[in-house]
Amino acid sequence: MGALLTATGITKYFGGLPALQDVSFDVLQGEIFGIIGPNGAGKSTLLHVISGVVVPTRGRVLLKGRDITGLKPHRICRLGVARVLQTPRPFPSLTALENVAVGAIFGRRDGGSQAWQHAADVLAFLGLQDRAAVAVGKLNLQEKKMIEVARALATGPELLLLDEVMGGLNPTEVEETMHLIRKIRDAYGVAIVWIEHVMRAIMGIAERVMVLNYGEVLALGSPAEVARDPRVVEAYLGKA
Amino acid sequence: MWLIALLIDGIVQGLQFSLLAVGLTLIFGLGGVLNLAHGQFAVIAGMVTALLLDQGLDPVPASAAGVLATGLFGFLVDRSLLLPAYRYSGETRLLLGLLLTLGLSFVIEGFLNYSVPYVALSLHLPWPSVRPLGIPVRTASIVVSLLAILALGALLLFLRRTPLGKAIRSIMQNEVGAALCGIDPARMRTLIFTLGALLAGLVGITQGLFASLGPEMGLELTVFALIVTTVGGVRSIHGTIAAGVLLGIVHAFASFYIGAYVTFIILLATAALTILWRPSGLLGYWT
Amino acid sequence: MSTTGSWLRYATLPSVGLVLACLPLAILGSALYARLATQMLAYIAYTVAFNLIFGHTRQLFLCLGALAGASAYFSVILTRELGLSPWLTVLLGTALAAALGTLFSYISVRRGLGVIFLGIVTLAFSLMFENLLLGLRDLTRGETGIVTKGLGFGILGERWASYYVFLGLLLLALALYQALVSSKIGLALRALSDDELAAELAGINVVRYKVLAAGVGSALLGVVGACYAYYNGYVNPSIFSLVGVDVVVLVMLLFGGMGTLLGPVLGGAVFTVVNELVRPLGPLNLLVYGALLIVLFLAFREGLVVALRRATGLPLP
Repeated sequence: MGALLTATGITKYFGGLPALQDVSFDVLQGEIFGIIGPNGAGKSTLLHVISGVVVPTRGRVLLKGRDITGLKPHRICRLGVARVLQTPRPFPSLTALENVAVGAIFGRRDGGSQAWQHAADVLAFLGLQDRAAVAVGKLNLQEKKMIEVARALATGPELLLLDEVMGGLNPTEVEETMHLIRKIRDAYGVAIVWIEHVMRAIMGIAERVMVLNYGEVLALGSPAEVARDPRVVEAYLGKA
Repeated sequence: MWLIALLIDGIVQGLQFSLLAVGLTLIFGLGGVLNLAHGQFAVIAGMVTALLLDQGLDPVPASAAGVLATGLFGFLVDRSLLLPAYRYSGETRLLLGLLLTLGLSFVIEGFLNYSVPYVALSLHLPWPSVRPLGIPVRTASIVVSLLAILALGALLLFLRRTPLGKAIRSIMQNEVGAALCGIDPARMRTLIFTLGALLAGLVGITQGLFASLGPEMGLELTVFALIVTTVGGVRSIHGTIAAGVLLGIVHAFASFYIGAYVTFIILLATAALTILWRPSGLLGYWT
Repeated sequence: MSTTGSWLRYATLPSVGLVLACLPLAILGSALYARLATQMLAYIAYTVAFNLIFGHTRQLFLCLGALAGASAYFSVILTRELGLSPWLTVLLGTALAAALGTLFSYISVRRGLGVIFLGIVTLAFSLMFENLLLGLRDLTRGETGIVTKGLGFGILGERWASYYVFLGLLLLALALYQALVSSKIGLALRALSDDELAAELAGINVVRYKVLAAGVGSALLGVVGACYAYYNGYVNPSIFSLVGVDVVVLVMLLFGGMGTLLGPVLGGAVFTVVNELVRPLGPLNLLVYGALLIVLFLAFREGLVVALRRATGLPLP
């Protein structure tokens, strides 16, 4: 299978300070691609660049060969890249179903009359069908996170960007979320780029892992290869 | 001769713009509230002074009382009306601050127009003019300039030399949290708001010396202060002071040569274009 | 609940129309009341426009009067100087207001101006407009203004006919508003007023919808402003001043309730009465408006419609 996403030489400066330096990688179709690194390594900035929130100083992002660098986030979303934010930010004045429908109506190329059905399907897939008519303010944090995931899935993505979804979860919940991520990939056939600093989870299910440190790629390969890499052990695992 | 007289008028008027606008800049930079009642504060000082003069008080103590009364009013506004705005942050605080002070400006203006509609402050000095180097200069211009320069100088000294002043500047420029400087943000906000009100009060007096001040002039003064703050940079104290003098000169010459309406339009357009072109202010780097 | 909801959604607008259409019967041909009622309709329509611009997308336009006035003066001057039909020039004025509002919104969204900067830019525009009117004396006759009687807009010269013209305009505006907010555009507006970044990431073109809301709102300000110029018999700068329009509309919207269909109608109706009650106070009515602005923003920010929803348990639109 060919590369779905190709990033070459991504570099981003914030007021003269480098947040990302010459980061290159590609993501295959249907792959779970993990990105790890300590806080401040540039993981979130990289997702910002891919989803169009931040324009890189240098470098290109290609989606199935098409240059998407510098496009506005809503265009990139419609081209098939959906983003789940670190802290869930569902729209408080909408119900759960309306939240998801926003993704289905505005984020899909083929939105149209099917959109509400799509939204209901995704909600059911995540087991939230009973909460459809509830205002999201009344949901608990885990349910809000799921609404966020559902909204992203409803946009019909080929690539799903997950930002530290494991934060604050206990071991059982981490286990459940790992299971869910595999289930999403298998059911929707999406590739997943997933950044995290909970190492164990990402090493368990990612097919390939990239390690970022001070905005640079330290290592890239299968979880086993990366875990053996002496630079990774020194810079990251050594301290963990 | 005309040119020099115009230039002097412009500088004197400009220094007063600076005094008024620098308070606006400080209050906005520190508290996140754009005080749309700032011009009305100047009017309060003028009206209090005028009423005390009517009671037979001498001009100097009457003026001092007018300025202090305005400072006290500012203090009370900060500790009461603005508390709900301070409870929020970000856009909500900006919006709430804007609308609450807009409401306050109408309350003040409505009250003054109702209670003292025909009172105006007009202070006269014993010698109307002097002729240094053969150029006739109004004594009022000299006194107003001296007052403004003294006040601005004291303010700059306070901001540069005292630890509290340095903390205020660093918070305004780098948006460092006040807590990091070891200072209670609420008390600092109140201090700056009161200081801004005192400076506005002083402008009320200098306007009375320079020309005359009526109860209906609040909105106009607020708008001039807004223009100066915008052009100078909403976070820049030096930029605001420089912009005040510069726009004062532009104002004097343009009013003389092309008329008041066009002048006002030019100043407003300068402010609007500054926001669109360089929101941190044309003179924003001068800090 | 959802059946009551949809029933109310369809019934509200016709009920408002019916009540307002019968209002002339209740006030029995008094010229003063006819004038107040027509003025009320114009202000409610202004408030509907501001509801789109500020209530739904949080764009603080402090140039409502100036946009309405720009349309009014443009139309009147074209009609008077060039002899064009007022029907045509009202459309041209409306287009001018829509273009200006769209421009302000587009620039502010693209430049990322916050509420303060957009407020200052639009306030500056208001004051520039006012000074332009005062300065271009040959064209505008300064403070005295221009007489619009006899410029050919006959129907707006008759007392009750013009009331129904404004009622028609208002009902059109309300219908358009309801169609907008219950379509997918309304969903986009609700989402982006909650969280612009999340909306953009979910595929909503935030720039387009904010500009659209501002453009439609400004066009509405324009058409009402221009019609008001002919109805009123003359135009002068104070009819479209910041205090005369923007502050009043802000108070009406806050009191009625932002982001609702009924809010502008109820807010406009109540404040037309309040305004008449405080008129004898003379200069004090400015004080009353200032105090109301403060009190409403501090204690009653959700507005009358939300309070009524809570009191009656009905999902009022």
